[in-house]
Amino acid sequence: MTKVSQRLNRILLMVPFIVAADGASVGELCKEFGVSREELVCDLETLRMCGVPEYTPADLMDYWIEGDRVYMMLADYFERPLNLTREEAVSLYVAGGALVKAGVFEKDGPLGTALDKVGRLLSDREKADIEELAERIDVEMSAYTGSWRDIIEEGLQKQQVLLIEYLSFSRDEMTEREVEPLSLVWSRGHWYLLGWCHLASDTRLFRLDRIKSVELTGEPASWEARESFNVPALVGEYKPGRKAHQVRLRFAGREGRRIVEEWPAATCAVEEDGTVLVELRTLNLEWLSNYLLRFGDRVEIQAPKELRKSVRTKATELLKEYR
Amino acid sequence: MDKIERLINLMAYLLDTSRPVTFEKLSDTVYKSQPHRTKAEKNALHKMFERDKEELRDMGVNIEVRKTRDGEEGYVIPRGRYYLPHLDLTPEEKVALTIVSRLFLGSGTPFSGPAHSAFLKLVFDEDASLSDVPHVRWVESPGDREALASILDGLMRRKYLRFSYRALDAAEPIERTVEPYGLFNRWGCWYLVGLCHTRKETRCFKLDRIVSDVEVNEKKPKTADFELPQGFEIRDQIPWEWPPARGVEDIESVVHFTPRLAFARESGPARHLSETRYEDGSLEVTYEVSDPEHFVEWVLGFGADARITAPVELKEMVTERLRGIVRGLRTR
Repeated sequence: MTKVSQRLNRILLMVPFIVAADGASVGELCKEFGVSREELVCDLETLRMCGVPEYTPADLMDYWIEGDRVYMMLADYFERPLNLTREEAVSLYVAGGALVKAGVFEKDGPLGTALDKVGRLLSDREKADIEELAERIDVEMSAYTGSWRDIIEEGLQKQQVLLIEYLSFSRDEMTEREVEPLSLVWSRGHWYLLGWCHLASDTRLFRLDRIKSVELTGEPASWEARESFNVPALVGEYKPGRKAHQVRLRFAGREGRRIVEEWPAATCAVEEDGTVLVELRTLNLEWLSNYLLRFGDRVEIQAPKELRKSVRTKATELLKEYR
Repeated sequence: MDKIERLINLMAYLLDTSRPVTFEKLSDTVYKSQPHRTKAEKNALHKMFERDKEELRDMGVNIEVRKTRDGEEGYVIPRGRYYLPHLDLTPEEKVALTIVSRLFLGSGTPFSGPAHSAFLKLVFDEDASLSDVPHVRWVESPGDREALASILDGLMRRKYLRFSYRALDAAEPIERTVEPYGLFNRWGCWYLVGLCHTRKETRCFKLDRIVSDVEVNEKKPKTADFELPQGFEIRDQIPWEWPPARGVEDIESVVHFTPRLAFARESGPARHLSETRYEDGSLEVTYEVSDPEHFVEWVLGFGADARITAPVELKEMVTERLRGIVRGLRTR
């Protein structure tokens, strides 16, 4: 899509919100459409130059701003938004399909009937085309069915503080925290609860499968800035810092490839003898040692020494337990 | 006059009119500031009008051709097809659609922009605030963003893609031309499925391993470059399935968890049958296991915090792995 059509799209979607009701809030428009007040005024000025023949002042659109509200006149032909576009419909179908597969929604529930209604906005041909396309985009989120799902959802809905017991990945210890739930986040294969953590006084992500318990406290969430955080920047687990251990492993079979599939910060090289050399960085050797036990004699741990030692201790102790 | 003003005027006129508007008439109104006296000028103007129509069509605005009363060719934008119809959503449907349209919001995938505008359209008729609807978000690793946008474009328009790809078992990347058939995401990673012209087979390409920009074939942008193979099913192309195919016979297994990690007992690949809690907080859980290997690997992931106590076969699988890894550590 060109720059002009992107801007035009925004204008065509924005005008109905101003025309239809009794004006619109400038602040809300800027927030919803992701523009500054100056950009908004620039769009409105453009509209002021436009209209229908004979292009006399009585034929051109007009706007005025009073306090925080903006009003328009002579723009009735843009009183409703443009019907859903192909890209928009595809995005809804793909997202809907992913959430059904994740178990967030049932296929035959309200989501299904809502998407049916969306489908009715399209012609039969468009609908078939879009459904076929959405079929070819298969997004799987692992099932989101943890035991805490109901409580977390209740907390999100009622905007209540949650008390959680959480196993911290980097420190390998259990902590108890008060968290104001903001949203559920799916990223690189895992579900997280995004929340404002009272312990850290910051936004934090909590992997759902590391939450030991959740309680509703009944206390209302007080943190205001619900939307102004940068979620992608928070998912920082994949970029271990300089303190991370440099790990080198050699695998006898295809397992090395599996690790690289699962571990975004890993690289791998296939050696001439068919073994796979994997290098990765991690902060948490404790967890990695546990993870490596499953590979038995198919893995050779080359570095670091601490990892070799930790795996040996763990394996030997476990063997004693199994005796 | 700016191009954007010209396009807005064109739309306003063709939406507002009840009668089809001829090209002549458009030349005297919307396109008045463009020269259109000589034949060459008229031709140039006609081309401009065609390009404008095209650009609007790409945005989803359809300009239709109708006969005027005098039998001439005229243009309109039918309001019934332009305007978003009323949806009449139930409150539950509204919540569901809100969650769906927000999933990709700010995700960094090419779905995020369209999903957001879809959301605004769908709530247009609804005055109720939807701020109490729980958020579910998809967050993408930044690296895939641009490649994804190009792949989706190629997928939607059926155009060839060109990129350089380093296969897992290859030392050097190879330049490839691919017919994009499908896109899938597993464990948070994106994969493209398509016919590779270089290898002459349908293959999966992991986006992380595409080492160049993804170029969409620019020739003949309005025609598709290829047809999809008959009966193409993306599911058939995915080399792993989850959950794994059920074994011939399910077996029962008992696992002992320490109090520390007992909470995670249901995160594994087996069906939970029953459990006993001991006074010290530890837990003994009985599972129905269909894929023993996967199950054993999951239990080993708990390190010293979980131990299989039955049956003997699974215990042996564990000890075999443990002995293996200790042996490997001794030989160096």
